[in-house]
Amino acid sequence: MHLNRDEECILAGEEGHGRQKAMELLVALGDIYGAKRLIPISSAQVSGASFKTIGDAGILFLEDFSQKARVSVRASLNPLGLDLKRWRSMGVDEDFHSKQARIVRAYSALKAEPLYTCTPYLAGNRPRKGQHLAWAESSATVFANSYLGAMTNREGGPSALAAAIIGKTAEYGLHLSENRKPRLRIEIESIPEGLVPLAGYVVGKVAGKRIPYIEGLDLSADEHKAFGAAMAATGAVSMYVYSGKRDGRRIDVSQIEETIPLPASELTECSQSLSGDSEWDLVALGCPHCSPSELRSMAKFLKGRKPRASSDVWFCTSRHAFASCPREVATLRKFGKVLCDTCMVVSPIEKMYKSTASDSGKAMVYLPTLGKQRASFRPTRALLEAISC
Amino acid sequence: MLINARKIKSGSGSGKAVVCSCPLSLLGGVDTSTGKIQDAECESKGLSISNRVLCFPFGKGSTVGSYALYQLKINNMAPSAIINESAEPIIATGAIISDIPMVDGVDISLLRTGDSIVVEADDSCVNLPDVIEKHVVTNIVRRDRKILLLRRSPRVGSYRGLWAGVSGFIEPGESDDAAARREMEEEIGTGKVKLVRKTGAVRFRDSDTVWCVHPYLFDMPAGKITIDWEHESFEWVSPKDVSRYPTVPGLQQVVYKLIGD
Repeated sequence: MHLNRDEECILAGEEGHGRQKAMELLVALGDIYGAKRLIPISSAQVSGASFKTIGDAGILFLEDFSQKARVSVRASLNPLGLDLKRWRSMGVDEDFHSKQARIVRAYSALKAEPLYTCTPYLAGNRPRKGQHLAWAESSATVFANSYLGAMTNREGGPSALAAAIIGKTAEYGLHLSENRKPRLRIEIESIPEGLVPLAGYVVGKVAGKRIPYIEGLDLSADEHKAFGAAMAATGAVSMYVYSGKRDGRRIDVSQIEETIPLPASELTECSQSLSGDSEWDLVALGCPHCSPSELRSMAKFLKGRKPRASSDVWFCTSRHAFASCPREVATLRKFGKVLCDTCMVVSPIEKMYKSTASDSGKAMVYLPTLGKQRASFRPTRALLEAISC
Repeated sequence: MLINARKIKSGSGSGKAVVCSCPLSLLGGVDTSTGKIQDAECESKGLSISNRVLCFPFGKGSTVGSYALYQLKINNMAPSAIINESAEPIIATGAIISDIPMVDGVDISLLRTGDSIVVEADDSCVNLPDVIEKHVVTNIVRRDRKILLLRRSPRVGSYRGLWAGVSGFIEPGESDDAAARREMEEEIGTGKVKLVRKTGAVRFRDSDTVWCVHPYLFDMPAGKITIDWEHESFEWVSPKDVSRYPTVPGLQQVVYKLIGD
């Protein structure tokens, strides 16, 4: 990889050990992927903020690193393992909290932005079309590439942090327009009510490492958020290309090598296979974090209904969305906990619950593994009906 | 023996090698408190990687594996260096944040657990002081779709009684092409052959020697084969039957590289 004089100086350690290490990481990854140079980024999204995912070693690394470096571009943080205000009522123990607090302090010293959400694009860090990013959170990466038209690879936690410190990332993969062309066409017949997340779930499995093109995918922004998150959880690719029925977008289909039909029956079958239990310890909504419009529509549905105390309920959202919808939050609180800074995927849910239902395709991947849960998929509407009467 | 490598993380590190021939996950594959490999599929299961040179093809598994390497470092159980065939981001990230010298681009099949290894990442090389690399040519001579195998005599220094091509050491100062021609004259008594092709060297390990074999394919449509003292007999054999002969190591690979299936 070619480095300019300033970059060489950083690599030689002339700007301190922390920046040197960050540069080493960018250069090594650039070399591995055959990048020719570093390019400036507009922002970073740093994963590895929950104690549950990075463990004791992660704390020690961040504490050490935070004494030697600062981020030089906007760098927002992924969710933590707890709600900073309501962690006790969540059921998180003191030990976990104290370790999580050390991570928060380290990132604060690194000057990362404490958004603690997987939806930074709904919380102030919204990239524009064509901007280069170094984002790590897989659901945010796929949204940025596919819906917002920004350009980012799916970074790891340390590499996103390194990019934030240097303000650059290696130019390879989805930073190059020739690598952003679809190689697979998926023909979705129709998506049954409430199964958009599962459409993403199935598309990710089918696509694997190839960018899929889906024609006639008329989804709202919230639906794209759920679709892409599930796709990035089951697949290895952080981007899809779509065209709506009426938007007349021109898609370069020259690289498409295969067309795969996805009948509605396959989505119904997928829904059945993920249906799991009929009763749950926890109903968890908001993976990715609920947007303000999702909070509003859930509150609208629940207003006038009564809570049914059969399971605990979490509505997971960003502090930003929470603050923008005080009345809706007040309504939702009658039915469960409205949690910020965290979610069912990265909190120590396994210490509190055994069986969890969610409307998220992404959560269906991580609840059974990371969360050690018996996971049950239900459409949002079905869950709202289950928790109210 | 010196092996060229690509620097991933700068620095130098040395120690005895611990070799895993399969991809390794550092999250779960290694006990971070004892440094012992616990991956059931790894032939080095139970061995400690602490202060050893850890050699494996590439990493697999969770991205949190980078932090597992950092945990090993904090516990003073980290390897002194890492050698990969092809580095991927998890291990590379782990090595960099943990200050563990690392290189890639090395053929792991040339390394053995217990080898003394010095990794010099900044010089882009790996040194195995106790292993000697020997350069030889191996000529495959072809006639009527058959190839010439020679049985090595009891009087030669190595691989007695095994079947081989026309082969021998490249002498100091000699080019590999010249050595290939010379061996033809010496071992089968003729230079009247047509060079069809040569391919890149094939390396393989046999005890403390790495044989670096330079393969050549010659056509010899006619003419008498006159063997010298190094061989006791010869046969014309169909390439697909080579596997039925007890041959010197790597011969099949050389034939495959030159002729294909």
